[in-house]
Amino acid sequence: MTTTGGLVGRLAAPGAASSATAGAAAGLVGGAVFGVAMASLGTLRTVASIVRTDSATVGFVVHMAIAAIIGSGFGVLVFRQRGQASEMLFWGLLYGAFWWFLGALTLLPLLTAQPVAWDLSSAQALLPSLIGHLYYGATTALVFVALRRDRGTKLRPRPGSAVRGVFAGLIVAAALYLVIDRMAGVRSGWIFVGGAAAGLGYPVLFSDRREGAGPALIRGTAYGFLWWILAAVTVPPLLRGATLNWSQAAVMASMDRLPGYLLLGGGIGLVFTGLGGVSRWLFVDDVRRLEPDSPGSRGLHALGYGALAGLVGGSVFTVVMVLVGELPTVAHLVGAQGAGAGLVVHLLIAQIIGVSYAMLFRRRSFDVASGVGWGVCYGFFWWTLGDLSLLPLLAGATLQWNATGIAAAFPSLVGHLGYGAAVGVVYFWLEARTNPWWITRSEVEGLRATSNREQTLGSAPALWGLIVLIALTIPVFVV
Amino acid sequence: MARHGSRAARIDRPRQLVGWGAFTGALIGLPVAALMGFQGMLAPRGRSELLAWVLFVVYAAGAGAVIGLVVAPRIRGLAVAACGGVVMGLLGWLFFWLTVDPVLHGRLPTWSVSAASEAYRNLVADLLHGGLVAVFLHELLLRWVYTSRSEPESPPAGRATRVVIVGGGFGGLAAAQRFERLALRGHGVDVTLISESNFLLFTPMLAEVASGALEPSHISAPIRAAVAFTRFRRGSVDEVSTTNQAVRLVEATGVEWIPYDHLILAVGSVPYFLDLPGVSEHAFTLKDLNDAVSLREHVIGLLERADHSDPDLMERRRLLTFVVAGGGFAGAEAIAEMFDLVQGVLRYFPGIAPDEPRFVLIHSRNSILPELPTELGSYALERLRARGIEFRLETRVVGATANDVELSDGRRIPTRSFVWTAGNRPGALIAGMGGEHAGNGALITDSSCRVAGLNGVWALGDCAQVPDVDNAGTSFPPTAQHALRQGKVVADNIVAVLAGRDPATFRFRALGLLVALGHRTAAADIRGHQFSGFVAWVLWRGIYLVKLPGLEKRIRVLVDWLLDLIFPRDIVLTARSVAPERPAAHAAEKAPQ
Repeated sequence: MTTTGGLVGRLAAPGAASSATAGAAAGLVGGAVFGVAMASLGTLRTVASIVRTDSATVGFVVHMAIAAIIGSGFGVLVFRQRGQASEMLFWGLLYGAFWWFLGALTLLPLLTAQPVAWDLSSAQALLPSLIGHLYYGATTALVFVALRRDRGTKLRPRPGSAVRGVFAGLIVAAALYLVIDRMAGVRSGWIFVGGAAAGLGYPVLFSDRREGAGPALIRGTAYGFLWWILAAVTVPPLLRGATLNWSQAAVMASMDRLPGYLLLGGGIGLVFTGLGGVSRWLFVDDVRRLEPDSPGSRGLHALGYGALAGLVGGSVFTVVMVLVGELPTVAHLVGAQGAGAGLVVHLLIAQIIGVSYAMLFRRRSFDVASGVGWGVCYGFFWWTLGDLSLLPLLAGATLQWNATGIAAAFPSLVGHLGYGAAVGVVYFWLEARTNPWWITRSEVEGLRATSNREQTLGSAPALWGLIVLIALTIPVFVV
Repeated sequence: MARHGSRAARIDRPRQLVGWGAFTGALIGLPVAALMGFQGMLAPRGRSELLAWVLFVVYAAGAGAVIGLVVAPRIRGLAVAACGGVVMGLLGWLFFWLTVDPVLHGRLPTWSVSAASEAYRNLVADLLHGGLVAVFLHELLLRWVYTSRSEPESPPAGRATRVVIVGGGFGGLAAAQRFERLALRGHGVDVTLISESNFLLFTPMLAEVASGALEPSHISAPIRAAVAFTRFRRGSVDEVSTTNQAVRLVEATGVEWIPYDHLILAVGSVPYFLDLPGVSEHAFTLKDLNDAVSLREHVIGLLERADHSDPDLMERRRLLTFVVAGGGFAGAEAIAEMFDLVQGVLRYFPGIAPDEPRFVLIHSRNSILPELPTELGSYALERLRARGIEFRLETRVVGATANDVELSDGRRIPTRSFVWTAGNRPGALIAGMGGEHAGNGALITDSSCRVAGLNGVWALGDCAQVPDVDNAGTSFPPTAQHALRQGKVVADNIVAVLAGRDPATFRFRALGLLVALGHRTAAADIRGHQFSGFVAWVLWRGIYLVKLPGLEKRIRVLVDWLLDLIFPRDIVLTARSVAPERPAAHAAEKAPQ
């Protein structure tokens, strides 16, 4: 008789085949979650049309079969990745999003002899499917981690971490409250409840890792997007009408909360990590647990590199600013007028943000790809914080956290992504010239550097991909 | 230096990566173009169908090349590759379809949501194309292209070239740092730096350590931190086998032969006492931190003794007379700093009258500081004389005992404090080597710092005589600023030789010379511009503070200087012995490696 433990044990055995098997099993669970949503949305018949029938039951069976196959693909794909929930969650989300493009927008229409759904209106019509794919990916990843328990998963944070998470959530929520309070007509009491819950959830998912403040900020931003999908897009319709509503219109209506959730998540990641650093600095008596490099060790070099990288990134961004005529708006920040003053202010801000990039992402890039990855993600975060929030606040205007405002800020998003990419590449190049931390002089130090690199790479590529996808699917949400 | 611990394969062949990336990009681009073409999405703006196909495939090949260059060098598994491809595809969409394409159609890009909506089908295409190209490229490279190569990170032809640097002074350290930079440009060599001390001593401030103005560790930078990616061995080299191309390393744990392909000798110089009787046994030197600390302890110890009334007046004169031999930079700074130390702390020793301490500088020429213009030398002489320092010019030291120093004019100066700065020469390691030697024992090199007649051996700094090709018949002076630049040139030249190129000629015009003359006074000649007094003193401190290696050390020295403005100098004695300090007999092999 095959016991559950025996099955799990086989699934947990190392190897690509067992990883594919675990992925298939996880895909079934993810498929079940997605399937329930599809049943609620009434889209199972579309899947059934692959086998030339319109039966919802057949559609569910076909859907589950596809979910298992795609799940096994996930297992093969992430075979070499670390198996913690904190890593896999983002791989799952990105995988789900990718399959929306490949499956829902491309293969499904082709299999049903329809034109591919690559235009914006078709993509908007299939928006419920995108959110379903995200749930599928997240569920598949978490179940995959649970099945492959040999890689280790820990979803129970230490009490101290949980308290720190809640505290971080409340701090960020309080800061957001001050911002949102200025938005007429937006209820903001939810932010404290949401902040505490998101703060508690952060260490539940991610407390098994110590990472730099920069990667934590990006992880938190993606985590905030998850919370938006869950708390702003999924739960409210269920509470109101006991049925899902992932339609484009409903999502568009929820856009007023997307920047808040992105900032909440990013802030929680940053504050949670910062509080951890302060706690270690104050209370840890074992120096092995402290950062090996003190801030004074080439710290000023790093800040100089950040300023220079920011200047280059700001110059790239200037092209966008000039063509969309945004420079005079920036000049208003210091009470000045005209494009010339705006350019000076813009380049100064670009350098300050470049310095902050250096502080947050020092020794986090070891090739051009990782430089671009972190830089683009940081650019996206600053679009949310700077362009959507600080710029109107400092200019005395009202926040435009809604679909119209976000759509109007899309050119600035492109500029921020270009800025981030340039900052990431230039900073990597400058740092690599003098401080290539991945080149080591001994095997022991090499192991430490490898460990650092692996930590950087754990789910970082997935985060980069997910953030870029979020940024560039915004037209689907807001038009 | 080496790259250790990398589990990820790395392929350092940019051209191949671009080529395979472009090929894969075009290959995957074809079905994507077909899909778009058959769906009527390829030529929406009046282009001909064929041109649109060609353009798309060219674009796909370009995108593939970028993915090959950026994503493929580190093969880390399918997930990372696919993810990188997706990101690059999306960024490519931003760059090309939202920015370049409108320009190609004669419009300015707007990057608006409506423009993005219009180009949305290309976003989907680029996303799928990028992800699929990266996955195919990953499998292509890993399974077919590089299958025959066991370890892409290992050197392509056996082991890396081994470079051994002997000496951790300015020249040796500069060479090691240069190699680290060159390694990032793909010129990887296996560098080992051997030094007797594990720090770089900033010698211009050594006299201030002797006078107690600076803490000893504040003018020394750890070598391991300065060249974090270079293999470091603490020990001395006592023999070089140019036949077997190896150096004999003597460490506390034993002896080891270290092989090399290229050897850089930057061992500096050691005090040379001209075989004068008693000098090596009874003179202090000022070459390293131990010398400076010992001299300070000695001076303070003598003041402690002299503070008690001593019936023997001659002995009291010996205790309070301080003699320096040599009127060069080191001698002038040593006598000035000793003067400042003694006079600065004299208030703590009430048994010593202010006019009792005597300071004497002995110099063989008729003016001091011959490296500086005559005007500055005269200025220094005048300023130091005005403080009461005696000068015995055109006089040589001919011998020394525990009680006095004998001069060439037959006089004897009773003293227990005799500092020798009148001669240096390369140590026994250099003397025992083949090749041509200059009159002072230094190795004669060609203009690229290569030692004539010794294959793969380079020399620089104090232990080398490098000809100045711009001034025929002369050679470069043995200063830190020359050694530092020679170190860089030697590293470049070794890499050039390894690449089959000719080594470059060393050319350098000295930036200037600065000498501190004690309290708020200095003399400086900077590219022909002469400064003296307070201005020169500020220049001296500012320039050397900037040149001090490492921000941490700069801050510490700056704090020392600031404290020195407010508080008197410390008179704490750390030596346990209460007996008069005498310098230990100097071993001939005291090479500052």
